[in-house]
Amino acid sequence: MSEVFEGYERQYCELSTNLSRKCTSAGVLDGEEKHQKISEIEAGLEEAVILIRKMDLEARSLQAGVKAMLLAKLREYKADLNKLKKEVKKITSPDTNQVAREELLESGMVDAHMVSADQKGRLAMSTEKLNESSDRIKESRRTMLETEELGVSILQDLHQQRQTLLHSHEKLHGVDNAIDKSKKILTAMSKRMSRNKWIVGSVISALVLAIIFILYFKLS
Amino acid sequence: MADNIQRGEEFEKKAEKKISGWGLFGSKYEDASDFYDKAANCFKLAKSWDKAGSTYVKLSNCYTKLDSKHEAAQAYADAGHCYKKTSAKEAISCLEQAANLFLDNGRFNMAGKYYKEIAELYELEQNFEQAIIYFEKAADIYQSEEVTTAANQCNAKVAQFAAQLEQYQKAIQIYEEIGRQSLNNNLLKYGVKGHLLNAGICQLCKGDVVAITNALDRYQEMDPTFSGTREYKLLVDLAAAVDEEDVVKFTDAVKEFDSMTQLDAWKTTLLLRVKEAIKAKELEEDDLT
Repeated sequence: MSEVFEGYERQYCELSTNLSRKCTSAGVLDGEEKHQKISEIEAGLEEAVILIRKMDLEARSLQAGVKAMLLAKLREYKADLNKLKKEVKKITSPDTNQVAREELLESGMVDAHMVSADQKGRLAMSTEKLNESSDRIKESRRTMLETEELGVSILQDLHQQRQTLLHSHEKLHGVDNAIDKSKKILTAMSKRMSRNKWIVGSVISALVLAIIFILYFKLS
Repeated sequence: MADNIQRGEEFEKKAEKKISGWGLFGSKYEDASDFYDKAANCFKLAKSWDKAGSTYVKLSNCYTKLDSKHEAAQAYADAGHCYKKTSAKEAISCLEQAANLFLDNGRFNMAGKYYKEIAELYELEQNFEQAIIYFEKAADIYQSEEVTTAANQCNAKVAQFAAQLEQYQKAIQIYEEIGRQSLNNNLLKYGVKGHLLNAGICQLCKGDVVAITNALDRYQEMDPTFSGTREYKLLVDLAAAVDEEDVVKFTDAVKEFDSMTQLDAWKTTLLLRVKEAIKAKELEEDDLT
């Protein structure tokens, strides 16, 4: 990536040396030729501005360490370009007052444009980041509300299950009581049964004894 | 599956023979009921629900003759379940007979359960009035058995359908009652704001502004935390919008609430009704002025 930057750098260096030569030569000349030279120089200045902008973009797209170095170089070149512009101004307008005024007002321009573009970019980025984070917060709030609703329905289910459990607990107690009662009834039944058996057995034995007695008396 | 149908029909024929033939020791109905049971099982396996249903009905007749009401009711219930897959009306009649038998037996829980099933079947058929009747019956039974959660659920459904049928007063009363009961219970108190919101929406549908403000104060008293919730804010905004008859404000408030939690179909229908009412009032006023 920095090869591109280096390419731009070389182009800029060539251009700036060209321009400075032209400036000095134009300062010596006069009239028509001077105007010609001046227009050439101004075209060259525009090219230089474009080159510097490209270098700026390149530098920003690289990583932090390299970026810092390249940005420093870039500032040097910007300063260089400004000096050239001042020179051109001095040449074009012989009125020193005007030249001084224009210097005062325009000297910061090249840099200022870049700086404001810079600031605008950074502002856009930070606004975007803020929007993103507020979106994320809204999303998480939505999720939280859904979770809350889910929690409420789970609690309702739990309540129902609790009632079912309590109900079955009571039922079991009822069943327990019923089993006790039936146990008593069964024991009573079995007692009665054994009593009946004894009675029947005793009656039968009594009858048998009576028969034997009668037979005995009859035969003897 | 065809052989299952065959086996089923065999069992059914055996059962019928038993009934119509001579029975020693009066055990013919019991044997017949056994056969009917097996037959119905085979039909269920073969997925022929109609036959299974009809067999279960015959089975329950046997059990009724044997005077074992519990078994008869159970058989009717099984018949109802089979018919659910084919025709809803048969299912409903079977389930109703089952529920009645359970009531006679004193098994209120089961009766309530089956009434609830019938009501749900009606709900699927979109027959809301009948559904309301059966849900009310179920809710009464559950209330008498002190199974409050099931009762509350049935009541909530009653209120839902009542509101859809525009019986707003009834729905409001039910929702407030449910809300009041849920407050005392640790588990249910987080659901209270949902119920109060529903009650509030019904109040809005009625369109009586004074009543709405009174109701909101009442809810505030009932549940001190209600005023902090989004539901309360929504109700306040909607009440204000209805008061000023401003449709835009109404739509804004609804949209804001919807962006956080989706409104379900029932709420959407009711809120749409309120919006139409506001629009109608606006048009009326424009006509007069």
